[in-house]
Amino acid sequence: MSCERQIERIQELVDGTLGAIRRSELEHHLAQCPDCRALRDDLTRIRDAAAALPPHAPPDGAWLQIAGRLRQEGRVRDLTAASAGHQRGARPYAWLAIAASLVLASGVSIFVLIRSTSAPVPGAAGTPAAGNAGGTPSVQAVQSEVDAAQEQFEKAITKMDDLRKANMQALDPQTSEVIEKNLGIIDHAIAENRAAVKAEPASVAARETLFEALRQKVSLLQDTISLINEMRQGNNAAAAQLVNKS
Amino acid sequence: MSTSKETDLALAARCREGDLGAFEELYRTHAGRLYSLAFRMLGNPADAEDQLQEIFLSAHRKLESYRGDAALGTWLYRLAMNQILDYVRSRAARAGQMTDGLDDASVLADASGHRLADRAIDRIDLERALAELPDGCRAAFVLHDVDGLEHKEIAQMLGIAEGTSKSQVHKARLRLRGLLGRG
Repeated sequence: MSCERQIERIQELVDGTLGAIRRSELEHHLAQCPDCRALRDDLTRIRDAAAALPPHAPPDGAWLQIAGRLRQEGRVRDLTAASAGHQRGARPYAWLAIAASLVLASGVSIFVLIRSTSAPVPGAAGTPAAGNAGGTPSVQAVQSEVDAAQEQFEKAITKMDDLRKANMQALDPQTSEVIEKNLGIIDHAIAENRAAVKAEPASVAARETLFEALRQKVSLLQDTISLINEMRQGNNAAAAQLVNKS
Repeated sequence: MSTSKETDLALAARCREGDLGAFEELYRTHAGRLYSLAFRMLGNPADAEDQLQEIFLSAHRKLESYRGDAALGTWLYRLAMNQILDYVRSRAARAGQMTDGLDDASVLADASGHRLADRAIDRIDLERALAELPDGCRAAFVLHDVDGLEHKEIAQMLGIAEGTSKSQVHKARLRLRGLLGRG
């Protein structure tokens, strides 16, 4: 019996699902074939190693992001803050959470629109017009859609950034400096990626990289607004986790 | 009603009422498993973190529909898997490629390829090799060999035949052998 025919039977042996008669035949073959024995041993080790893989711990700031979004969207009440009397102190800043959620919602929906228009340009690959920025009508049409979506996306970012700037006094100078520095790095990346998209409007990779940079800016602004909210509510432990994440 | 079902229903009810502490309890219990699933399915921590957020935000919205027919952890796991698969499919569609499986020729090459060294399989090497599998094979392998699901349940989740699930897992193991053996 050739070894190729044994591969599937060896897999079933490893799974423990091989019937008695076929198992007996296979074991007879394995006794005489070192290659198949090695395959059986390797597949068993891979299966066992996979089963023993430890879980990955989620990033520290993940829960705070989720809690922040739920608060911003008004879907939860924080009993701990309320019972500690922080609710009163947070009330004047409820508008900040609502405003941020509205701006973020518009940014996310526009981002979804952008991702949905990031399909490869029809017929671009392998055609003479591929890579020709001013060439086929399909390239121009997609570029117009991307430009319009990008403009709306950046409007949403501007609004979130205005919210941030209006409330940065809630943060200590060192934290503010870190956030400003990170925003500067992302803005530099966005500028470079815009130039790349302008040079190669048909490039899916260039568009994807630009949108990834815009997404990172949204994420950082969202974190900053969550941080401001946590500081306003006196939740210093939560605020510290957000700072460490950035 | 069993105690665990009562517990699940009570926790879900508290979450629906807007109790953030209750939702955090749900998060702390299940986030590790779901993040690991996302990490291994998507191959990078940034996407996994994004999807973990979307999974729990989606779960909060959909808790209205939780009736206790399955354990809360199982319900969450299925929701997570659907979320992740939707993301994988949309990512593949944007890239203009579908990476579902391995062709028979490459599978045969893997079967007769490098043997593994006698030392234990390094966990990090295995995680890296997992990330190199095509999406379809990786999904079936993670669900079966890593998370221990049966082929029947995997087939339902992935929308494939049970035989296809088994075949994908087998191909994945052979490809992993090839990748780890070259290491």
